[in-house]
Amino acid sequence: MQHAAYWITISHLQRWTNAKINDLIKKIYIDNGADLESFFSLSVSDWENDYSLDERQLLSLSEAKEQVANNAFVAESLIHQGYELIPLISEEYPPTMKENLKMNYSPPLLYVKGNKQLLMEDSVAIVGSRKASSNGMKFTENVAKHATQNYQVVVSGFAKGIDRAALDFAMKYTGQSIIVLPQGITTFASGFKTYYQHIIRGDVLVLSAFHPKAPWSVGLAMARNPIIYGLANHIYVADSSNTGGTWEGVKDGLKKGRTIYIRKPEIEEDSANADLIDMGGTAVDMYGKPISHEKMKSEVNKQKEILEGLSENIVDILAEKALTAKEICTSLNTDISYQKMSVLLKNIDDVEKVKVGRSTKYRVKIPDIFDLQVSQN
Amino acid sequence: MVEMTRQEAEIKLRKYFNINTFYDEQWEAISRILRGERILLIQKTGFGKSLCYQFPAICFEHLTIVFSPLIALMRDQISSLQALGIAAKSIHSGQSVEENKQVIEEAKQGLLKILYIAPERQENSTWRDEIQNLKISMVAIDEAHCISQWGHDFRPSYKRIINLVQQLPKYLPILATTATATKRVEKDIADQMAGELTILRGNLLRDNFKLYVIDIKSNDEKMVWLARHVPRLEGTGIIYTGTINDTEAINRWFEYLQIPSKAYSGRLNSDIRVEIEEGLLNNTWKCVVSTNALGMGIDKPDIRFIIHTQFPQSPVHYYQEIGRAGRDGKPTVIILLYNPEDRDLPEYFIENAKPSEMLYEKVIRSIKSELLGQYELMKKNNMTQSQVRVICADLLEQNIIREVYFEKKKKYEFIPDSEPFDHSFYEKIKAAKRKELDSMMEYAEMKSSRMEYLCKHLGDASDREFTNCDNTKLPKHYYRPNSHLENEFRKFSKADFPILKVETKKTNMINGIAGSYYGVTNVGNLIHKCKYENGGNFPNSLLQLLLKAFDSKFGKMKFDLILYVPPTVSGDLVRNLAERVSDILRIPISHDLVKIRKTSAQKMLHNRHLKKDNVEDAFSLKDSQAVVGKKILLIDDIYGSGATIKEIGKFLTEQGADLIVPIVLAKTVGSDKL
Repeated sequence: MQHAAYWITISHLQRWTNAKINDLIKKIYIDNGADLESFFSLSVSDWENDYSLDERQLLSLSEAKEQVANNAFVAESLIHQGYELIPLISEEYPPTMKENLKMNYSPPLLYVKGNKQLLMEDSVAIVGSRKASSNGMKFTENVAKHATQNYQVVVSGFAKGIDRAALDFAMKYTGQSIIVLPQGITTFASGFKTYYQHIIRGDVLVLSAFHPKAPWSVGLAMARNPIIYGLANHIYVADSSNTGGTWEGVKDGLKKGRTIYIRKPEIEEDSANADLIDMGGTAVDMYGKPISHEKMKSEVNKQKEILEGLSENIVDILAEKALTAKEICTSLNTDISYQKMSVLLKNIDDVEKVKVGRSTKYRVKIPDIFDLQVSQN
Repeated sequence: MVEMTRQEAEIKLRKYFNINTFYDEQWEAISRILRGERILLIQKTGFGKSLCYQFPAICFEHLTIVFSPLIALMRDQISSLQALGIAAKSIHSGQSVEENKQVIEEAKQGLLKILYIAPERQENSTWRDEIQNLKISMVAIDEAHCISQWGHDFRPSYKRIINLVQQLPKYLPILATTATATKRVEKDIADQMAGELTILRGNLLRDNFKLYVIDIKSNDEKMVWLARHVPRLEGTGIIYTGTINDTEAINRWFEYLQIPSKAYSGRLNSDIRVEIEEGLLNNTWKCVVSTNALGMGIDKPDIRFIIHTQFPQSPVHYYQEIGRAGRDGKPTVIILLYNPEDRDLPEYFIENAKPSEMLYEKVIRSIKSELLGQYELMKKNNMTQSQVRVICADLLEQNIIREVYFEKKKKYEFIPDSEPFDHSFYEKIKAAKRKELDSMMEYAEMKSSRMEYLCKHLGDASDREFTNCDNTKLPKHYYRPNSHLENEFRKFSKADFPILKVETKKTNMINGIAGSYYGVTNVGNLIHKCKYENGGNFPNSLLQLLLKAFDSKFGKMKFDLILYVPPTVSGDLVRNLAERVSDILRIPISHDLVKIRKTSAQKMLHNRHLKKDNVEDAFSLKDSQAVVGKKILLIDDIYGSGATIKEIGKFLTEQGADLIVPIVLAKTVGSDKL
């Protein structure tokens, strides 16, 4: 790639936001019809006159100019090892990213290795917390499988939990995937080893927007999330708690007006997915299919009915003796899972929990004056 | 960029370099560099090419990085710069990690003006990390002909410099220099460097050279000629041979004749090489007998003679090698001992420069299946290090694989969608090289001016008269028989036994001796017949040679016990041999040394890692007390890589042996077929 050293230099200017950098790039290429090579050959006064930059910017650019020769060494090493650089002005720069993140947030330079064509395909991001629930995992598998069958590329962040699962399920169903790194691309040795075969087959692209030597950090992990969102045409959230990367990422995405599909949690799940749906996320079922408003309502009602219908029976059964959730299910001859049953039981006012030996049983609330001996069987 | 008139520059030149003026051609290059241009400078050895980057380097504010292919070359440049008080250092593999770190630290602090590195340095992760912290004013590339596949000394790592140059900012001055670039190489370098490049080419005439070619009919004649003439030549010189073994053979012959000399080759470790290079500079010896590993960048102004006992592969090689002599401009004798039959050797190198296509495919398949390093490729495919090196370099060149670095280790990675391997390119190069070899023989056999021929061949179009050879104004020389020296040589040959270099600090084994070289006369044939064609016991003639060799070096030593290397395939041959030695020398023999597991024949394994693994921990003693405190003579038939002998030496040392001396019938050299 031509001018790689200049691109590395301008893309990591200290204390410049992407918006500022991109604006300068636009001025150079579009407004002035120039390129980085001629830009860096200009004197400071030329910069000042032609680009109306302030003193602080001029200073940091002058400092950066001294780095161009050094960055040539860095660039040579990267290119030698097969890393490719895709600058904002390149035809290879993913249009999805530009469209989603606009000039304000698009990274000015991407470092990649693998099949670059994947950047041009219809894409699906699957995100979620590091501690994935079993439903979240199942959902991830379903969505990844479906995406694969539709020739969509799965975009993920290579974090533990959902991210990693999204990638591995995409591979399991012989799909294609983009790994968006929370670190510089040269620090990903173990990943390149693990996914060597997938990369050379053209099934995986590894991408980083950070300085090639930057080590993993929480800051970069957070900064990586918007890039995942930027690269994806469709975003699916498998699991979110009410703090952390996924939570903040979705909020940010919703704020930017993206449609974000959120797995509707089962009522017994301890999950913040429902909150994200309340905040404007689109609820989807275990297969990633959007749940319509009516359907959602009717489902809620149905659950209510079941609850109401059941609660009477439950109270009847429990009037005689205390039972475990499982035993209640058996007595009612229902196919509701006993986990679900225990959530239901929590919501019935007349029923209370009681510890018997090692098991948790339920009984009808009894006024304190009765000292009822709880049956031991 | 630095503004400076020639007058100002020459004031500075006197101050820093103790030189009064520039040559016009030097100033042209330097003034362009000071203006920030990119230059390819082709000038003969002794012109003062280095000054063309060293002078700008002290004018610029920051560091100048100089790429140089050889440590010896860097060392020389640095010591002369340091003598002038100019802050120059180098980073290279001959220095410790700490030393290199220290140098980088000094460069970071801006304490250095010039930093020499090898192009391979880009593979080093510390360097790659630290380069970002250096401030660079200029880049220089020494021996730039190494960039071109069409050159006589192509180096794959120089490709990386090209890639770097393409990335360097336009305003950074670059100077590439070489003494030997044909028009084709010049064009190749210019094409690859791209961008705005100015080529400055000087004339190549070395009029202080006296060029001779002397016809010789055999190896013996060469030895006799050298013995007669080298002591009479003025000053100190270099004798170039075709192989490492020849360097040693001629050196032993000179030792025998008491002509002070040293053998030099790339095989020696760096301490010894430095010692010999320093000795050469100080005229400690009459001559150094060397392969072409010696010389590039040896900054000795007064090498008075250069003799080739084997003609090189091309006139360019020849010009490069003789170019090292007579830099002081004083008369210098350049002799080629020419025997057309010697063509076999350079032809062998040309024909066998590349492994077979099948091996290339094998390596591609392995790399496709997993990320592998050089060592893993050698083990996996049972290939030699040089095979793997050559193959990988070519596959890199053809963009079929690439190098990646993981945790400081270099691995090869397959490039998806790459074109299939194209062997035909190397056929073209091979054809070009054969033509070059023909030209070299033409040089030897021609009847007109030799200097003119060399200059024209190297693209020097200038029109001048060349009268400095035995075809023009100098007398012709011929080989003259000399019965005294011929007798001496016969006597020497009979007592010239190969040394087995097995000594290390870790074992009690010392260097042993062989009865003969495997490839010499018919020794190899005799052994092969006995071992593989049921030819019976080793013949008496071989035993006699072995005993003679033993007597020459260890005759006065006392031994307690004879052990022999237990066989892989050849039955009782070695045992019988050992018993005969035991009988004659009256040293008791023991049959206690045995193999505890099956091993492969070492000759089937093509690299030292596999050979070492093959014999590691394979031996045992039936009686564990058998060798305690004993002095042992260890016998085998052939000594190849030495891995078996070394392993047994290690084992016997562990078992308490006091001293182990290996003796064998024959020692192989590099290309011997067993």
